[in-house]
Amino acid sequence: MRYSVRQTTDYTYSEPVPSSRHIIRMEPVTRAGQEVVSHRLTILPRPSERVEGRDFFGNRVTHIAIDGPHDRFSVTVEAEIRITPTVTDAGGEDQSWEAIAAAALSAPMIGPDAPIHHLFPSRMVPIDTAITAYAAESFLPGRALLAAACDLNARIKSDFIYDPLATAVDTDPSHAFAWRRGVCQDFAHIMIAGLRGLGLPAAYVSGWLRTVAPDGEMRLEGADATHAWVSIWCGDQGWVGFDPTNGIRVGTDHIVLATGRDYADVAPLDGVIWSATGHSLAVAVDVIPVVEHDLDA
Amino acid sequence: MSPSPASHRREAGLPAILAAYRSGGRGAWDALMDTGGAVRPVWQSFIDHVAQIGASALQERFARADAHLASSGVVHRVYGDSDGVRPWPLSHMPVMIGADEWSHLAAGVIERAEVLNALLADAYGGSDLVTRGIIPAALYAGSPEWARPMVDASGDVKQPLRFYAVDLARGPDGQWWVMSDRTQAPSGAGYALENRLAMARALPDLYRHLQIARLAGFFQNFRSHLVSLKRNPDGRLGLMSPGPLNETYFEHAYLANYLGFVLVEGEDLVVRDGALFIRTVAGLQPCDVMWRRLDSDFTDPLELNTRSRLGVPGLLEAARRGAVTLANGIGSGLAESRAWMAMMPALAARHLGHPLRLPTQATWWGIDETARRIIHDRFDELLIGSAFGAPLPGIGTGFAPGGSLGVTDRAALLARLQNRGVDIVAQEKLATATTPVFDKGELTPRPFVLRVFAAFTGSGWEVMPGGFARVAESGDVGSVSLQRGGRSADVWVVSDQPVQAMSLLRGTDTPRIRRSPGALPSRAADNLFWLGRYVERTEFMARLARAALARTAHHESFIYAAIAATLTSWGALPQFTPLQPPAPSELGRVALHGETSQSIMALCRAALNAASIIRDRFSPDAWRVLNELAAMTQKPLTETLPEVEADDRMRDVLRVLAAFAGLAQENMNRLNGWRFLDLGRRIERGIGMARLIERFASDDPWACDLLLELGDSTLTYRLRYVDMPERISVTDLLMLDPANPRSVAFQMDRIADHLASLPQTGAHAAAGLAAEWQAALTNADAHLFDQALPGECAAGLLRLSELIIVDHVRPNGAGGNS
Repeated sequence: MRYSVRQTTDYTYSEPVPSSRHIIRMEPVTRAGQEVVSHRLTILPRPSERVEGRDFFGNRVTHIAIDGPHDRFSVTVEAEIRITPTVTDAGGEDQSWEAIAAAALSAPMIGPDAPIHHLFPSRMVPIDTAITAYAAESFLPGRALLAAACDLNARIKSDFIYDPLATAVDTDPSHAFAWRRGVCQDFAHIMIAGLRGLGLPAAYVSGWLRTVAPDGEMRLEGADATHAWVSIWCGDQGWVGFDPTNGIRVGTDHIVLATGRDYADVAPLDGVIWSATGHSLAVAVDVIPVVEHDLDA
Repeated sequence: MSPSPASHRREAGLPAILAAYRSGGRGAWDALMDTGGAVRPVWQSFIDHVAQIGASALQERFARADAHLASSGVVHRVYGDSDGVRPWPLSHMPVMIGADEWSHLAAGVIERAEVLNALLADAYGGSDLVTRGIIPAALYAGSPEWARPMVDASGDVKQPLRFYAVDLARGPDGQWWVMSDRTQAPSGAGYALENRLAMARALPDLYRHLQIARLAGFFQNFRSHLVSLKRNPDGRLGLMSPGPLNETYFEHAYLANYLGFVLVEGEDLVVRDGALFIRTVAGLQPCDVMWRRLDSDFTDPLELNTRSRLGVPGLLEAARRGAVTLANGIGSGLAESRAWMAMMPALAARHLGHPLRLPTQATWWGIDETARRIIHDRFDELLIGSAFGAPLPGIGTGFAPGGSLGVTDRAALLARLQNRGVDIVAQEKLATATTPVFDKGELTPRPFVLRVFAAFTGSGWEVMPGGFARVAESGDVGSVSLQRGGRSADVWVVSDQPVQAMSLLRGTDTPRIRRSPGALPSRAADNLFWLGRYVERTEFMARLARAALARTAHHESFIYAAIAATLTSWGALPQFTPLQPPAPSELGRVALHGETSQSIMALCRAALNAASIIRDRFSPDAWRVLNELAAMTQKPLTETLPEVEADDRMRDVLRVLAAFAGLAQENMNRLNGWRFLDLGRRIERGIGMARLIERFASDDPWACDLLLELGDSTLTYRLRYVDMPERISVTDLLMLDPANPRSVAFQMDRIADHLASLPQTGAHAAAGLAAEWQAALTNADAHLFDQALPGECAAGLLRLSELIIVDHVRPNGAGGNS
């Protein structure tokens, strides 16, 4: 599948901000299963400093500074991305989750893809006894990891209510868990907390979903903004994506923007403004499938 | 016959202060006395000496040390305490260590620093030890202190550790054990300096007589090393502090002052194009070396903890590029993880080729099956703790004996050990040795922990020949923490060699106060300016209140009421019924201690608050004065305050403020800091005087008397005018006379002088306004005096106050400034 993505994030400040500094994580990179054909970041007002780079996990980051008063700040990303289905039936589906947990801890790996980064409590996802106990119901002794993960993914979809008013961007997973409500970020954090509580490496993924479902299919939740899901380390099979908000495995409708330990690592926009003013925020996302002309792809 | 060690054997009769001394009690090793009851050689001279002094004289001397600490304002902050700040608890007995033993300790500390630095360098530079399978990846990745943004940075990666401390305890056999490593931002070295000054004051002859290693050389060498790291010849050295609310802020200010570093907080700093700058009254100044006393996670809200208000956005980018060297580097706290304690013996032996000289307290990390089994089997007798600091059920982030846990927590932890043993460590309990403290007139053994400091000085590591000891308040080693009532003690490294053994070190520990290292940070300027304003305003309120209290006779009651009304309109007194001013006893009490924002004590507190933020700017003498002021604000508030006592208190306040003004005048170099302090005073004095004239100028003799009294100009007036005071001449003297140091014109002239001498920023609004008013006051004629002039002048001074901040405190324009 080939997609054209366009996201605009627009801040309006109630009073002019004298200057600001931001980190932008809004441009996707080419990675397993997806190729970024083109990408462009437009920032208004024009930054006085702009430095591009990659973070520890390989995500594209842009550091900017805006010098001079501004009452609006907008970032638009436009990208064309080609998604190729990843082969997940490479065997080894029957590896027990305990064996994977032990392998994750002992693997002599510490690069960006290593499981070890996603095994420990992180800034927004502490180890939580109650969530771990909830997850453990799917992880019976000796059960294959993928089967158990599918079960947990489906349970979160059925046990929790999608409710954008229940939580905020900094809601603790234990609260969303107790309320059984939230949005994609909360469900991803809950699933991650449960998996890590059991000693399994689970990463947080931010990205996009196609906006309009193909004919005859339900529109997926989370398509109107940046979406979030979970990636689980499965030993030799590498990382496998689960979308607990929709209760599905990650497929060709999911476009990866960034990965990290939790939302704090991948927040699309972090910033410091030297002002005490209020702001309002508008986000608009379009993810349109593009007809492939070059069929040899 | 000369005394021999044998003469102090128990049976031979010990000095009185040792009469009840019991070695350990639990059979633990004691620093002072061996198991046979004999005083150990390293203590011999000391004991002989203090025995000679005698217990009561000794107590007096120790009181002198306490007085020194109190008057120097040495404090520490206790978290969770509403008052917060506590006097410094000094144990008056030093911890004595012989030179031979010390050289063994120092060698052990240095090799440990080298190993930890090598491991940190690996963690931030390639992680070879992980990929080669020598250490588990979890040792780095498990810690929240492993700063991923700094991994493989191009900046300085060889020396992530430059200032290191280690906590040591003596076991039951006298053996030293490492209890923990401090690699983030070790505290205590500055307090050690203060302890030394206090002890040298209490026991000067003994301190001179014994060959005690001096501390200053250590700090000088560390400083020289940091200076050598500067890339920019104009670059400044900073000491980055979390600010006055931090437990050890006193030490940050003290060390910055001692070493001549700029004490900075996050808001003093800004990153431009990948380089770090200090905001000063002379614009941005480069800062390329920083002694970091702020935990890494808070240093950059963009890349680390986004909730931090203490850091500098963009600092990590500057550090990655190598544009600034931080000591210690970002993420150095990684080596404080308790999991590292478990790995240290094996990793160090591998790195050094021999076992560590100083053994590490036995620690097991539940990452492997063997350790998990030991932790499980010995759960009740071991200390259980978190491997990387994440809270554990029933324990939190600290340590607790497994046996002390409740049933539920115990079960939760044992389950956690199975699921996630990697989060858990266990340590052997250590029975610690004791050292003497002086308690109720005699010596008593108490458990203690010794912190030793090491600094990288370019070619290698150097150990501070002394240290920071914490002594338990009871027999329980858990109470060594100052947060839990423990005391701190100086550490004396005693040599039996002649002095030249220490010849590399400077001969004195007297702090060298280096003044105003370069341009003044803007925030310091702001606080100095406001300190000046608050001090002057306090003085005005006190003078007014005293003037009222001096006019309580019946025939003066209308004057009393007029002054009280003035105090109310200036915010020092609450509103009262127009016909009913407060009774004199009430007025004094409320003007001093009332809940209004402008009461005398509220103003003193505002002044002290401003001063505390710029603690490093003042000499110890100035601090003694400010501490006296602080003590006044804490005097108990009685229901009523007799007029005489209220007057005494106000006179005390005026006396202390005068002392402070004198010190500022005499001792602060006439640099920009002094100019901002004085600008604040001049502005406030001008406003106050102008408003008094606006309110009271008339031909009534009582009003003229009052104005002259408040303007401290009665004597001048009498010398100059023989007549009864009258409006024109009083107004001339207090408003227009450029030679009267209390007049508004005099203040305006000083303000204009200061503005002309400050670093020029290209903004001239303040200077322009000051010049206009100078001209207006010069040209005004008291005989043709415009009634509106004083009020307009007061408003002009208020405007001037704002413009000074805009022009000189935030001179970098809107961009990047708060």
